[in-house]
Amino acid sequence: MLIPHPLLGLRDSQEFTYLGDANLMHRPDPAAENAEAAFCEYVFLRDNPAGVHRELWFHEQGDRSWLVVTRDTTTHEILGAELASDVKLGAAQ
Amino acid sequence: MIDYATNAVTDLTPITALGGTVARSESFGALSLSENAGLGLASLSLRKSAEKGQEAPQVFGLPLPGVGKATAMGAYGAFWTGRDQWMIEAQGKGEVDFAAMLKSEAPDCSVTEQTDGFVAFEIASANGAGPLEALMAKLVNLDPKAFGPGQVTRTGLEHMTVFLIRRAEDRLAVIGMRTLAGSLWHALSVAARRLEA
Repeated sequence: MLIPHPLLGLRDSQEFTYLGDANLMHRPDPAAENAEAAFCEYVFLRDNPAGVHRELWFHEQGDRSWLVVTRDTTTHEILGAELASDVKLGAAQ
Repeated sequence: MIDYATNAVTDLTPITALGGTVARSESFGALSLSENAGLGLASLSLRKSAEKGQEAPQVFGLPLPGVGKATAMGAYGAFWTGRDQWMIEAQGKGEVDFAAMLKSEAPDCSVTEQTDGFVAFEIASANGAGPLEALMAKLVNLDPKAFGPGQVTRTGLEHMTVFLIRRAEDRLAVIGMRTLAGSLWHALSVAARRLEA
């Protein structure tokens, strides 16, 4: 399986380690009113879709960047990859 | 027992990453493998990303290369390791405080000593690019044709993480974890020997 790294091109998926759902990037505000419920959901509850899923992969044996990879869980087709830092910066703007 | 009267200072013998008193080198047909014990390394990273206004400096007269590229001039070289991060190499500076030299060149950047963390093996082919690309094909999942002179990448080699630098058509440097020097030498030398057979 090859992952299209946004900077380095197609790379062997063995160079990467998998973390999980890209929603982990959206950590709730610990000072908010409903922080306990929000953290309960953040830590324990995951969607488990059969189909398109956005997930975090770490290019461990590479440039050590975090990627948000869009993958179809039913076919393992990789539909795209972005740098997680760009996703985060894009969301902040 | 130590005789403190005559042996006030213990005699210390410096050894290379492979444990020898001199750097190891071995030939396998057209390929020669040698430990580069004198390579000084230090990493350099920008404190702020380029988008936020910090420009990549020049160090030792070297412009810092772009994604996946390596440059060299005289005894110094630089290669890209990640976004806003580079490794700077200095031939023959393995036993001096190279990180301090680099820090004085780039005071606004984060500089970390790396010499003690890595081991460098230089592979040269006496017969052009062919034997080198055959060796790469056995060891790493990269397209050798897209990995020409001046390219650098980090990848996995027998589960070890290594930097590969294509220094020239017929020369490749493999820089890996110093603690794994023996295993890395084993992997490279076995593959080279099998190509020879």
